Amino acid sequence: MKKLLKGFLICSFLVLIGSGLSCSGKAADPNTVTLWHWMNDRHAAIEELASRYEEQTGIKVKVELFAPPDAYTQRIIASAQSRVLPDIYGILDKKEIFASFIENGFVANLTEEFAKDNNAWEKSLFAKAVDVNRFKPNNPQNIEPGIYGVPIDVTNIQMLYNKKLLEKAGIKTPPKTFDEFLAAGEALKRVGITGFVAGWGELWMADCFASNYAFNIMGEDKIMATYRGEVPYTDPDWVKVFGVFKTLSDKGILIEGIVTKPNKDAEQDFALQRAAFSFNGSWCVNVYHNMNPDLDYGAMLPPAMNSKFPLKIWGGGGSSFVVNNHTPNKEKAIAFLKWLTGHEQQAYLSESTKNLPANREALSSIPKILSQFASAMDDTTHPTIWKFNELPLVVENFDKGIQSIIIGEKTPEQVAAEVQAVKEREIEKAKKRKR
Amino acid sequence: MLNKYQIKGMFKSTFLHIILMSVAATCLFPLFWMLRCSLMTNQTVFVDKSFFPHELHFMNYFQAWTEGNFGIYFINSIIYTTSVVVGIVVVSSLAAYAFSRLEFPGKKVFFYMFVLAMMIPLPGSFVALFDLMNIIGLVNTRIGYILCMINVGLSMSILLLKTFFDKMPPDLEDAARIDGCGRLRIWWNVALPLARPALAVIIIFNSLNVWNEYILAQLLLSDKNLMPLQRGLMVFQGSHSVDYPLLMAGLTIAAIPIIAVYLFMQKHIIKGLSSGAVVG
Repeated sequence: MKKLLKGFLICSFLVLIGSGLSCSGKAADPNTVTLWHWMNDRHAAIEELASRYEEQTGIKVKVELFAPPDAYTQRIIASAQSRVLPDIYGILDKKEIFASFIENGFVANLTEEFAKDNNAWEKSLFAKAVDVNRFKPNNPQNIEPGIYGVPIDVTNIQMLYNKKLLEKAGIKTPPKTFDEFLAAGEALKRVGITGFVAGWGELWMADCFASNYAFNIMGEDKIMATYRGEVPYTDPDWVKVFGVFKTLSDKGILIEGIVTKPNKDAEQDFALQRAAFSFNGSWCVNVYHNMNPDLDYGAMLPPAMNSKFPLKIWGGGGSSFVVNNHTPNKEKAIAFLKWLTGHEQQAYLSESTKNLPANREALSSIPKILSQFASAMDDTTHPTIWKFNELPLVVENFDKGIQSIIIGEKTPEQVAAEVQAVKEREIEKAKKRKR
Repeated sequence: MLNKYQIKGMFKSTFLHIILMSVAATCLFPLFWMLRCSLMTNQTVFVDKSFFPHELHFMNYFQAWTEGNFGIYFINSIIYTTSVVVGIVVVSSLAAYAFSRLEFPGKKVFFYMFVLAMMIPLPGSFVALFDLMNIIGLVNTRIGYILCMINVGLSMSILLLKTFFDKMPPDLEDAARIDGCGRLRIWWNVALPLARPALAVIIIFNSLNVWNEYILAQLLLSDKNLMPLQRGLMVFQGSHSVDYPLLMAGLTIAAIPIIAVYLFMQKHIIKGLSSGAVVG
């Protein structure tokens, strides 16, 4: 036993030393561009594109995956502090953290590159995607205005419809107006099909749906005025927004338990054809493909209530890469990112990973459902790009109020009054703090 | 005819067995569910609600092994687990013995430093660890990761072993000393064999910890060929979708060695727990 233990200890020691030596002291190759990312589902596709790039240009791109995103973020922060960041990487944190990376000189300013050839690179990409990496003049972070990152995909949240279930209910075309949508819900109910499913157990999903209709019912200016405290939530337009949920609930269009349903469950319901309509992000294409590859469905904008104001959906940039400002491979890194966001590469990336391409020219070469999603990019908006945002406690009460309306606990008027009361309280508190 | 004591005993035993069976069922059911899902397809996993799947897809295991590149990761995990556990056992037993039996300046300060280190969550030390490893050139090396993991497991192990050594009768050491043993020989020939139950607990706890560790590996290692087994499992988890059957097959593969270690050391672990190895 003793001999065995001794032998084991010696062997382990040798393994330790050997393994340590085997990988230490490797010098970085100056002709290799290193890219760090966190996207498990896109790793194989990015690696494939990197090898194509090497074939075409002779420049090797070493793609290294660090997932899940939490681990990746830790790695990036630690590497930044030790000044060993790779040539290309992504920053997953808030815009403030992005700004601190720029401030500390870890991110290259790509504005000039985007502006070359009469803004050719910028024009090829969706404006909303580029904006995610843009710092405008007089930005709150005091960053030199410019573009600091390259979007590789985009995302947005829309409504989905199941073609077979609509056909079963005799609905030939997906509804365009809210009234048509209600009529479709009635028709579906008659043949025993649930109308609509969404993950409204996750408050932000319900908030997003309400925001879509708020844009449609009153327009951006009035929403911003509400956030500034100039328009009360008891305004008839806001009551109308809350009323959307009451109508859907009263008409029996919503799936049972919608207010406690996480988005994962809602995705399952739609993929397994338990509901005809759903409200989900463009990532669902990937999810539905895994759960039910035969699902025949399409994407559509939520049916509008009026034509006075455009209905805006939430969306914007998906994943972005930045270039290390200190790397001697800066030019090569930028050249690779330009190539990666080119039409063909974006189409390949989109098709193989089922994400929306950042390059608008790639729309013609990708599957129809992805192209349907991506074609609505010009109708997108997002709280991060609004001039004003609502106070968190007000948002919380707003979203919980929606849930109360759906379960019939409160009326739209009651919720509107309650949200307004919270808003007034919060404004008062803010005023006191200022004093 | 049963007397009232026998009836009472029977009721007691039945009640106890029902409780134990329910506890065992709650522990085993997730394992069974993992095994069940690993034999299904991505489509049936959401639809087939039956206890036993109608069709068994054993190829999932082959697919998980090849797609997850488990070959290299498996070897890496075995290297990491054995090296770290051996390192922890050697260093912590020596340290715990010294804290328990030797008198030296700053003994209490050093001991409490180890105890305090347990209160720092691992992610809290990530940046500092990475920086240190980078300075000494051990980032992206096996030895760097192994040293960090040994460091992670030391505090708890020292605390456990010190508690055990404190309870060891000093007469045993005196007898060994009369027989001509030095400090190291007493540690090796007397203290360690007696601490076997505590060592078993340390081995199983740390094996589990290292085998399942992934975040620190992601921080310190970049080379795919140096990554542990958990890296293979990440392949089946996308940002928004998960390939459940392959993930479950991968998890089953990953769980087998650790279950084997547990079963192999079961007797010692129970002894360790019942003799107060974990009272600290």
